[in-house]
Amino acid sequence: MKEIVTIQVGDYANYVGSHFWNFQDELIGLAGDPQADSVFKNQDINMDVLYRTGEIQQGIDTYTPRLVSINMRGSLGSMSSHGTLYKEAATTTSDVLTWTGGVSTQASEPHKKNLFLQSLYEEENFNMVNTIGGSNSGSPSEYQNKDITEGLEKGVQYWTDYSKVHFHPKSLYELNGGWTDVEDFDNYGIGRDSFDWASQGEEVSERLRFFVEECDHIQGFQFVVDDSGGFSAVAAEFLENIVDEYSNIPVMLYAVRGPGTRASRQSRKRTILEELHDAISFSRLSPYCKLIVPVGLPSLGKASKFLHIEDEKHYHSSAVYAAALHSISLPFRLVPVGPTKDACSASGAVDFHGLIQILSGQGRQNMVSVLDVAMPTPALTGGQNELSLLGNLQSLTPHIAEDVEDIQAIEHLTVHGAFASVEGRRASVCEVKDTVDAAFQRANTRPLFYHLSVGLCPLPIPLPFPSIFGNQVGKHGEMMSSKLTNSSSKGSLDVHSIPMAARLRSTSAVLPLLESKLQNLHRYGITRGAAGAELLRSWGFDKEELNEMQETLSKMVATLCPPQLSSDSD
Amino acid sequence: MSLRVLNPNAEVLNKSAALHMNINAAKGLQDVLKSNLGPKGTIKMLVGGAGDIKLTKDGNTLLKEMQIQNPTAIMIARTAVAQDDISGDGTTTTVIFIGELMKQSERYIDEGMHPRVLVDGFEIAKRATLQFLEKFKTPVVMGDEPDKEILKMVARTTVRTKLYEALADQLTNILVDAVLCIRKPEEAIDLFMVEIMHMRHKFDVDTRLVEGLVLDHGSRHPDMKRRAENCYILTCNVSLEYEKSEINSGFFYSNAEQREAMVVAERRQVDEKVKKIIELKRKVCSDNDSNFVIINQKGIDPPSLDMLAREGIIALRRAKRRNMERLVLACGGEAVNSVDDLTPESLGWAGLVYEHVLGEEKYTFVENVKNPLSCTILIKGPNDHTIAQIKDAVRDGLRAVKNTIEDESVVLGAGAFEVAARQHLMNEVKKTVEGRAQLGVEAFADALLVVPKTLAENSGLDTQDVIIALKGEHDRGNIVGLNLNTGEPIDPQMEGIFDNYSVKRQIINSGPVIASQLLLVDEVIRAGRNMRKPT
Repeated sequence: MKEIVTIQVGDYANYVGSHFWNFQDELIGLAGDPQADSVFKNQDINMDVLYRTGEIQQGIDTYTPRLVSINMRGSLGSMSSHGTLYKEAATTTSDVLTWTGGVSTQASEPHKKNLFLQSLYEEENFNMVNTIGGSNSGSPSEYQNKDITEGLEKGVQYWTDYSKVHFHPKSLYELNGGWTDVEDFDNYGIGRDSFDWASQGEEVSERLRFFVEECDHIQGFQFVVDDSGGFSAVAAEFLENIVDEYSNIPVMLYAVRGPGTRASRQSRKRTILEELHDAISFSRLSPYCKLIVPVGLPSLGKASKFLHIEDEKHYHSSAVYAAALHSISLPFRLVPVGPTKDACSASGAVDFHGLIQILSGQGRQNMVSVLDVAMPTPALTGGQNELSLLGNLQSLTPHIAEDVEDIQAIEHLTVHGAFASVEGRRASVCEVKDTVDAAFQRANTRPLFYHLSVGLCPLPIPLPFPSIFGNQVGKHGEMMSSKLTNSSSKGSLDVHSIPMAARLRSTSAVLPLLESKLQNLHRYGITRGAAGAELLRSWGFDKEELNEMQETLSKMVATLCPPQLSSDSD
Repeated sequence: MSLRVLNPNAEVLNKSAALHMNINAAKGLQDVLKSNLGPKGTIKMLVGGAGDIKLTKDGNTLLKEMQIQNPTAIMIARTAVAQDDISGDGTTTTVIFIGELMKQSERYIDEGMHPRVLVDGFEIAKRATLQFLEKFKTPVVMGDEPDKEILKMVARTTVRTKLYEALADQLTNILVDAVLCIRKPEEAIDLFMVEIMHMRHKFDVDTRLVEGLVLDHGSRHPDMKRRAENCYILTCNVSLEYEKSEINSGFFYSNAEQREAMVVAERRQVDEKVKKIIELKRKVCSDNDSNFVIINQKGIDPPSLDMLAREGIIALRRAKRRNMERLVLACGGEAVNSVDDLTPESLGWAGLVYEHVLGEEKYTFVENVKNPLSCTILIKGPNDHTIAQIKDAVRDGLRAVKNTIEDESVVLGAGAFEVAARQHLMNEVKKTVEGRAQLGVEAFADALLVVPKTLAENSGLDTQDVIIALKGEHDRGNIVGLNLNTGEPIDPQMEGIFDNYSVKRQIINSGPVIASQLLLVDEVIRAGRNMRKPT
């Protein structure tokens, strides 16, 4: 077994993570649920890759994510940072054992649990016996599921508001803000200033060590960072330490950000700050990982015509990114098929190392990948849309060129739970393979190489999933031809699972993203009399470091440029 | 007002309003922390929105927990936290001293005095107080065998302000022994060599000093021994894990056999390393009484663990980086970075290695070592917040012992120094100052009294009575402090109440600096960022 340890840094990263773990929890629940669809039963997915088995002091087994999550203090809402499982045996919290003198208590207003969390809580008390790792949305509850989902639609304040997963007490780490306003924590400099390695960093890396030590053979770190603010500095420090400590373990980095984190109309000073932040955080983060995937469109409205996403709700947009992450991570968890067993429910298992080798190890060695997703994936054949599976993939990486002909492109595609036809028959692994192969054959621009992973098990939609599906999406994620005029979007009550396809591309389409970062760094930070030079100095970067970063970036650009141009750009 | 022309949105507070804003912020922060001070202060229990509990009596911890927004308060808090970083204690005192300086100044400023004059007085008083401190301090000769009693008294003074007496007294011995254990002649004391480990288990009084090391993980193989005596310890940083060759190595294979062959070859590399270790083990453990323990900073995968277990070797993987250093100091030997460097001399030795399991948490004790230069303070407690609080106290106590050894002097506590310094300023220094700066010296002198005053207040004593009694004794030439139980003057030397010299000096140094800066502010401008954030 090859374990993955996940690290989430920053608020939006945790929004994404929360959905991600909800999917995992749902999969675990469905696998053990006798009433569930048989497709969830034999998934050939090894959940132990992402989860760890533990035991609380009272001797009850636990099953929790291998996760280290870094947050700002106060961003956990009503969830305790110790998680819910490992409660202290005796709840004699009120007496102070270490002091005989006076005690003054300062209690903050308790966060009210929303309807969803209340229902989880009651469900747990209802059957204390199998609390762990189970998700049985069918169990008796006096709360109406409808009310729950509506409640979530109306107000999600914290990422914990819709999380149904039990976390290990070592998983959630809260960062002291160092007396900065949360809203001010929006650039690299402030993150760098307020993160104190001696006290906070040590603690975080200790927690990570706890999870790594348990792994028999760790395949990699899945690192999700919210790179829109000060957390990129925190992540960079952390990554530097990880690379130092675990030198041979690959890191796959998703740099995510919510839509609308960059407002369009603002002062020039602000624009420079943001552009510089983006350039700096990208060039500081990328050297520490083997593969970096920038994720986060300015607006998700057009990401898929089957989805209705309200950009201002992180709860909505993060669900799409989490689904894509889930699909991409699926091949890492597929049980490699032995010779005796024929590949009936999955194929294309690959590990971290393998995937990185495929995408960035060969040819150009480009480490920046583009993430595409088709959510939900239309049926392989027929239907009202003539677009093939490939045509349906929409990019989630910002600032990339459309329709680039890149003969050296390399792709990694994961398809799971796809339908063979509009009638809703699940496609077998072979069918999917054949169709995709054929599609690549037909396509005008064919990548140099592609790797395909196929799974039968679709993406389960857990109860706290947002209502973002268009009304043409059916119960199992099939496309219904009859267009209803009623335009309200569907949520987890109407859609139980969806077929998914996600793709990582190593292509020159990512050039505009890299070039703009390089340009901004040069224009605002390095040229003589640059507008942001003062700012960068206050963030603690000297000229030499900046030149180094510029070099890193231009190297990245050069690997992607056609050879005859690369000499110019140097 | 020219700012208004430049930026009409800027908010401006001028002159007295600005000054009073600063004074109020300083007083506010003082009020929050005041009740913490001393062995009779109250402990603060912070309950978070999700029901998380945090217990603290440490000003430093409390400041970090608070969501301070006021810019003046942040400035003071930064100074106080810096105080802790530098000297390890005195955060609360710094905050209340700054607050008191501001409060005393307010009186004079309201009577029409210019802050500049006060600040000049502060400067004179500060220098005089520092000089006085040099005279007042009690030198302690450290030499090769430091006086344990005096170290214990300093540690006890600190820890008793954080924990109840019985526990504090128990910890005092542990702290002094720990620091003396890691102390090397002619070298600065590195407190990181004292590992602080905690177990949520039993009671706070079970906290103890382990001469040796406690690691927070155990072996990962069911057949490995859980307890072994007479152990050779191999401290190493060698990966015993099957790893694919580096990513960009460009290794290509054209068929399945070649791939197989490569995998086998790579596996064999790992096995070779394990075999070398086994070879060494056989060499040193030829008699049957001794055992062999590997503590590795890198990973060890199951096949390697298997091989080691069959040889009766105990193996721990992914040890803390810092523990590599500690292990070598505790057990001897050296950290090995390659199996080629393996020699019997590189091995350390421990009399006893055993594992303790608590639920899913495993602890490995490496004990009975010879001449340890690293040790572990094992904190036990029934719940997390108790443990956290003891941990804070242990950190402060260690710093206090370290400071004493490095300062080679201590200062009489229980408010004795503050009262003595005040009397010195009023009776001697003030006369030498000309003009209105005298008032600055006076304000400074009165501000010093905030320490005994607050101690008295927190003990439920009458502050006026106490101060008058103390001043009287000092004027008669007796150096006395405050007995918090009776309110009577006592001799701190007799009671064994000593503070750190460096902590006191730091407070006297930094307090007036910040207070002066705040007093000289005559305009507060809030501008720059647009407060209406686009959403």
